[in-house]
Amino acid sequence: MFTPSSKYFVGLTGIALVSAILYMFLINPSDLGAIALFGVAASSALVAGFTLFTRDGDAFTDEEAVAAATYAPGGSIWPIVFALGAALVLTGLATVPVVFILGIGVLFGAGLEWTIQNWSQRASADTAFNSFVRERAIGALEYPGLAAVGLAIIAYLFSRIVLAVSKEAGPIIFIVVAAAILVVGILISQKPALRGRVTVLISTAAVIALVVVGVIAALSGERHELAVSSEEDHYSAEHRECEVAASEHYDHLANNQVSLRSAVTATIFVEDGKLRAQAIGIKKDIDTITIPRSLGTTVIFRNLDETEHRLVVNLGSHTVAETGVKEKVGTCTQLTGKKQEQALTLTIPKPATSEEPYFFEVPGIEGEIKLVVP
Amino acid sequence: MDTVNNVKSSRRRISTTVAGLTGLLFLAGCATNAPQDTWQAKGPNAQKISDLQWIVFPIAGVVGVLVLALAGYIMFKYRDKGQPIPTQGHGKPTAEIILTIVPALILTVVGVFTFRAIFELAKTEDTEMIINVTGQQWWWEYDYPVQTELGINTPIISSGQLVMPVGTKVLLRETSRDVIHSYWIPALNGKKDAVPGRIHLLRLEADKPGIFAGQCTEFCGLSHANMRMEAVALSKEDFAKWVASQQKAYTSPADGTLAKEGETVFLNQCVRCHQVNGLKKADGTPALAAPDENVYSGAAPNLSHLMSRNTFAGAMFDLLRKSCRADVWDATSEEFGAKYLAGVSESCLNQTDLRAWLRNAPAMKPMYADPTKLTKTGGKYRGMPNLGLTENDIDKLVAYLLTLK
Repeated sequence: MFTPSSKYFVGLTGIALVSAILYMFLINPSDLGAIALFGVAASSALVAGFTLFTRDGDAFTDEEAVAAATYAPGGSIWPIVFALGAALVLTGLATVPVVFILGIGVLFGAGLEWTIQNWSQRASADTAFNSFVRERAIGALEYPGLAAVGLAIIAYLFSRIVLAVSKEAGPIIFIVVAAAILVVGILISQKPALRGRVTVLISTAAVIALVVVGVIAALSGERHELAVSSEEDHYSAEHRECEVAASEHYDHLANNQVSLRSAVTATIFVEDGKLRAQAIGIKKDIDTITIPRSLGTTVIFRNLDETEHRLVVNLGSHTVAETGVKEKVGTCTQLTGKKQEQALTLTIPKPATSEEPYFFEVPGIEGEIKLVVP
Repeated sequence: MDTVNNVKSSRRRISTTVAGLTGLLFLAGCATNAPQDTWQAKGPNAQKISDLQWIVFPIAGVVGVLVLALAGYIMFKYRDKGQPIPTQGHGKPTAEIILTIVPALILTVVGVFTFRAIFELAKTEDTEMIINVTGQQWWWEYDYPVQTELGINTPIISSGQLVMPVGTKVLLRETSRDVIHSYWIPALNGKKDAVPGRIHLLRLEADKPGIFAGQCTEFCGLSHANMRMEAVALSKEDFAKWVASQQKAYTSPADGTLAKEGETVFLNQCVRCHQVNGLKKADGTPALAAPDENVYSGAAPNLSHLMSRNTFAGAMFDLLRKSCRADVWDATSEEFGAKYLAGVSESCLNQTDLRAWLRNAPAMKPMYADPTKLTKTGGKYRGMPNLGLTENDIDKLVAYLLTLK
């Protein structure tokens, strides 16, 4: 009654259902995990139904499939890979999460391969036929999966190289490598004689070079300025450099373009050396912007001046518990170029005190816009 | 024979009941004491919608009745009586052209009026006043930014009741702190969703002084049905008085009074979430509420001048006793302002609901306020929890809240 493929999917359906029920009772009845397991059960049941209905696509008859109906097992590498996965999981639990995640991936991949191989070896006594059955079941997953892993490795190693070299050299390397790949590809397609050994040789050499250089680059770390920026926390909202002068790190590659329009509470302008603000629904310029407390609110800063400026919002001060030192609280945009703009989203949980009112300012420009949190 | 008579008699009974219920349904449409009736416009924006309804509904009604009658007639006339299946034809150009052109014409007429109304309602360039409206589970916050021409020199913050001047084009800038809500005062305009991260505009304008009821119309969780609101329209003179009263500095109750003791209870319990502008701690520093630490939405109603409002708990309960409330709601346009501005006196306070709320708020309004079930919100409440106040504390708090005018 059951075809070889349907047995596999019926089994998978059963396991997924039991897992889902156990998950619901033991872990969380309304968690996404239960939904995912039920999803696996439903989809595998559907595939089982299809395979039963189509008799495995009529690729072979039941008679052929059970020609000898004897078990013809061969050697398998998957138990070793599975064990390696388990070791990685255990190591990852004790060391870093990335090893754990890698271990889970290896466990899942090896488990799947092992299961499919074992199942295919029971299809008949004919090893070639069994190999064909295995290919049918897993081939559609294997090639894209391996290709994705290969591409991820290439992208990761290449990114390490580009991050390690200077920012001028990065694009050049990228262009040279891309051009080389294009040239080799064209040569191989135009000269069929080059195919075969030469292709394998070039590919192997390229992969070895990439792995070696990538590993060296990863070990040597990112280029100096990136490492410093990251170490000194120049990218976080709490550590913005809001002075008049350009910051080497914070102002690096400012976007200066804002597509947001509909959710803006106010727009602050610098024009002819003066600061002014407008809000939706108010016809004239305003000198006070009201922001509801605890609500993410966006203000746009538009620089219509000839020189670069940044918008700074001052939110009072706080005392550092450990040192007792008073620190200014606030944030700012990056330096905004001539006739360009940036958005600043603020979430302010408490109103200002009368001693330290909140306000917007643009360093180097006279005046301020009051900020009220009622 | 008896069986036949019984069947006929029961059919008659069913028909009579259905006809009666349908008649009652129609009669319900004639009710005038219906605060959320979309046909009773009290301002030009709602009037535009009402005028559009008078065009669209009759057309849609006639088309609907015709289609249903025709379908019923065809179903009855050509019902299966064992007759042979008629010859099947294909295509009837005249009928097809008519059936395409007539609906297209009808839709064009409806479309012209509808688009005109939509564009008129979306106008904002002649706005005379703005109010920021923020929705959260399950109440509305109103903050009035500085508008010196209206006498608003410091921002005003309120909840439950939106107060506005009559004959003024008021622009609401709506948003939300948690989920999507929808603001709807049927007597003054249509609905507009309040969406987190966006600012949506809705204009209100009232012809005459009065209170207009509304309701959140986007399902927003457990107490969606209890998320109400009221718009209060005051004459321009009365609105100026209201603005002045809202900007009045805080006065602490006199020492030795029950209200003073209530202020201490408020500082110990309520100020964790509720702000009263001007209230100071015992050491003289401002008492700043921190709802962001306790409430999922990051806000709780600001209770400054609470007793100048007529409602509390997301406008679900009245602060006024029934008779006092009726006195305000039923007041004539001329008397309304004075009665509303009188606020809530001790004799008019709805002590029953206010005390019950302070005793155990989640029992009064369904909220996610069970401290054992807050894992998904990181321990933060959605709504007011049961504070476990003693009756003595409640007495003190009520006395204190009565001073917040």
